[in-house]
Amino acid sequence: MSEVRIAAERRTAFGKGAARKIRRADKVPAVLYGHGTDTQHLTLPGHEVLLALRTPNVLIRLEGDGVNELALPKGVQRDPIKGFVEHVDLLLVKSGEKVTVEIPVTTVGDVHPDGLLDQQLVSIAVEAEATHIPTGVEVNVEGLEVGSVIAASDLPLPEGTTLSADADVVVLHVINKPVEAPEEGAEAEGEAAEAPESAEASAE
Amino acid sequence: MLIPRRVKHRKQHRPDRSGAAKGGTRVVFGEFGIQAIEHSYVTNRQIESARIAMTRHIRRGGKVWINIYPDRPLTKKPAETRMGSGKGSPEWWVANVKPGRVMFELSGVAESVAREALQRAIHKLPMKCKIVKREVGEA
Repeated sequence: MSEVRIAAERRTAFGKGAARKIRRADKVPAVLYGHGTDTQHLTLPGHEVLLALRTPNVLIRLEGDGVNELALPKGVQRDPIKGFVEHVDLLLVKSGEKVTVEIPVTTVGDVHPDGLLDQQLVSIAVEAEATHIPTGVEVNVEGLEVGSVIAASDLPLPEGTTLSADADVVVLHVINKPVEAPEEGAEAEGEAAEAPESAEASAE
Repeated sequence: MLIPRRVKHRKQHRPDRSGAAKGGTRVVFGEFGIQAIEHSYVTNRQIESARIAMTRHIRRGGKVWINIYPDRPLTKKPAETRMGSGKGSPEWWVANVKPGRVMFELSGVAESVAREALQRAIHKLPMKCKIVKREVGEA
């Protein structure tokens, strides 16, 4: 995976007032730590960070203001509605170093017509070289019968990547399709019977 | 309908409506979800009504998750009653939903069917909502 270059500035003002001022300038407050070094407080350009974080486990090259480091996003705080980045925790990595990261699990193909795919894990922990982190793992579910289970050990991991999660953990399985909802009339009767039930009655 | 089996206090203060959701703001179980963009109390009847609207549209196939639970009682005084004489009687069970909260999730159906089902469910809810999709691998 190629690295993304982002210009970083050192941050000298702290606290919510300073952080809000940074965000108003379309920038993102960030911290960089790891390898037993002192925590470095940084300011990153907001839009570039937002674009970079669309790639899972993106390798970021921080440059400028006396900083020249490779880092991986460790934690990202986002606005719950708008989705913009409020703060980023970056973990210092060295090229060639092995790191444990969560990579997304995606599926391809259609399951059995009578089955419903129940994906228990959407990401899985793997150990990989920091500069060669896979973007994800693809599982082919074409023709899987009802009752089929794919465990973590069955995942086709890219070369140079080892599984960190429990090998027996279920990633996805194919279950029977739920039965059709009852007819309108039958459901309406059921609702009418429930209607007199008051909150007070249930609390007692 | 969702109702707590047992509660410690029958009558509670009205839940705090300020702020945004601290957790449960992303789609984690299914592929699509309904996210609240306003504050509201959602009653157990509204939750059930939204669930029925969704499941009737998707018919066979698909799985629905309900991520909120109506665990707060709201009280009401009877009509034409003078003030005083204590707190009214419990009338509704509500979930205190704050902006950003993903309330329902859906998976196992085509995107067009899922969006229509979720839109029907949104019509049963008391606040503005939007349909959100699970972002694969976004940090």
